[in-house]
Amino acid sequence: MAKKPSMPLRWVRLDNAAKIYPAARRNNWSNVFRQSVTLADDVDTDVLKSALEVAVKRFPSIAARLRKGVFWYYLEQMAAAPDIREEYSYPLTHMSRGEMRKCAFRVIVFRNRIAVEFFHSLTDGTGALIFLKNLVAEYLEQKYSISIPLEDGILDRKAPPKEEELEDCFPKNAGPVPASRKDTDAWHMSGEPQRDGFLHLTCFKVSVEEALAMAHNYHVTMTVFMSAVMMKALLNLQNEKNPNARRRKRIKLLIPVNLRQLFPCSTLRNFAMYTVPELDPRLGEYTFEEICAVIKHKIGAEFTPKHMGSVIATNVGDEQNPLVRLIPLPIKNLVMKAIFDSVGEKKSCLTLSNLGQVKVPEAMASYIRRFDFILGVQAAAPYNCGMLSYGDTIYINFIRDIKDAELERHFFAVLQELGLSVTVESNENER
Amino acid sequence: MYCVNCGVKLADTEKKCPLCNTVVCHPDVKQPTAQPLYPSDKLPVSRSGSRGLNGAVIFLFVIPLLVCFFADRSLDGVLDWFGYVAGALVMLYVAFALPMWFARPNPVIFVPCNFATLALYLLYINWASGGNWFWSFALPVVGIMCLIVSAVVTLLYYLRRGTLYILGGAFIALGAFMLLVEYLMNLTFSLPALGWAVYPLLVLALFGGLLIYLGINRPAREILERKLFF
Repeated sequence: MAKKPSMPLRWVRLDNAAKIYPAARRNNWSNVFRQSVTLADDVDTDVLKSALEVAVKRFPSIAARLRKGVFWYYLEQMAAAPDIREEYSYPLTHMSRGEMRKCAFRVIVFRNRIAVEFFHSLTDGTGALIFLKNLVAEYLEQKYSISIPLEDGILDRKAPPKEEELEDCFPKNAGPVPASRKDTDAWHMSGEPQRDGFLHLTCFKVSVEEALAMAHNYHVTMTVFMSAVMMKALLNLQNEKNPNARRRKRIKLLIPVNLRQLFPCSTLRNFAMYTVPELDPRLGEYTFEEICAVIKHKIGAEFTPKHMGSVIATNVGDEQNPLVRLIPLPIKNLVMKAIFDSVGEKKSCLTLSNLGQVKVPEAMASYIRRFDFILGVQAAAPYNCGMLSYGDTIYINFIRDIKDAELERHFFAVLQELGLSVTVESNENER
Repeated sequence: MYCVNCGVKLADTEKKCPLCNTVVCHPDVKQPTAQPLYPSDKLPVSRSGSRGLNGAVIFLFVIPLLVCFFADRSLDGVLDWFGYVAGALVMLYVAFALPMWFARPNPVIFVPCNFATLALYLLYINWASGGNWFWSFALPVVGIMCLIVSAVVTLLYYLRRGTLYILGGAFIALGAFMLLVEYLMNLTFSLPALGWAVYPLLVLALFGGLLIYLGINRPAREILERKLFF
């Protein structure tokens, strides 16, 4: 791992979205997410290590470590692939500062599953998925001597990285006028905390065909449909916990959106923003159709180059302020952490991130059983949720750091009420 | 296999329902088995990341303590003022550094601890300076202040509602406390009875009453929110 490189290691500044994550981390929390692929056969770790060496060179901004400058953090390319780690009883174990200094991502193998956990400053869900697909493609090529065509996100791994893949796309897509940051607070979920740090993972598996048919019944996309299910579950949970309707707080769901769909950009670094539909339970009961309409119109109104450009302009404006740039990093960290703690997670109940339909070349498909996308819990709120679909199954992964699966129960109840069949699995069999 | 309690279909990996914890058990049905999603008994070694930092903080307190000790001693060979510095440093440590050792420091425990340290420090000052004000003045004042602040912190921490009532009550209690402070001062230091405590009592009681009124009267609260928002 400490092999001396023949060429100077590439380094990049953190992109605009990545800057908050190192400052916001805590002694027991950092913003890490996981993507995993489950293969048909058990993983050969020697071959995977060899494939990882190739991937590390091809993706210098993702296979990187977090370093400190005087004024900003930066990412430095890894000289060699990190060791492959064994799986623990729960995903997304804490990534300490020391670990990030050495390597800000992990590759974990458990039987036939390859999981990669990324510190969010490295990349977003889309970039991470390309890294994972290419790692798996390289592994399959080396293991089974097959040839995988360069399609569906599979890149030429022998070629050097392209400059546009390493680009920070935020500044060049900032709009002319910054958007307002004014926003309302959301209902804060709570529960009896899991003291030993264990994270409960609950995965709902739903048929794509069934869910898509139902979403089309409501004239919405899959993301809007599942977001509506989640918001309905949150409404029901708050109603149960707080019978006094006048005291209920807003239900808000943070839905990340991929800006590559709006702007011409092929970066593998962070290039996502979010939209936050909200419901005010004090106004009365919401039907499922009403919730779908709220989310659909919110996304429709905000997921446009103009609106997203103005939100980017707000964030980029702060970063480019000469006074802010000249403040030494430790002071910047204190201020950014204080802002994150006081504002960051109060504006939504949880995140529901949908990576969409994962596609791989035909030559890979027969070796792959499933993909999973798991977000880490929030710093001060107990839940988060990541979903994707592969083949004919949607995998909805809930993660929580409290004991009771109250939100999952309500989520299932809503799906059941809608008539969708669900299979559930978890990581807590022996507990 | 379906959960008999909540009805969700369970994957073959599940031995109990992840949603309601009902154990999967049916005497007539052979339970399917599959490899669990995650190893069942492999937990990371829990290391507190702040332990090293907390150790360094102790050093930050020990260094001035030692410097003061040797400085005081080297002047005339006797420790004159070192005790005051040491007491103040211990108080600072208990207030700011000790809670850092705990993942979730409970203020309901730490607030009385801080008052206890303060009382001990004052006892030392009383003894070291040859005064006789501790038992008749400092102890009752610190003790009652401890009771009021601890009650407020406990109620705010555990009730998480009725903040206006709690703070209103606390301000009125503080006003009444002023009367006691004046009485004890007059008694201990033989001061003339001026009756100054009535003024803070009136102001604090008025303010406390206003908070309680706002707690009771929702429209008044909303008017105030509307006028004072920023």
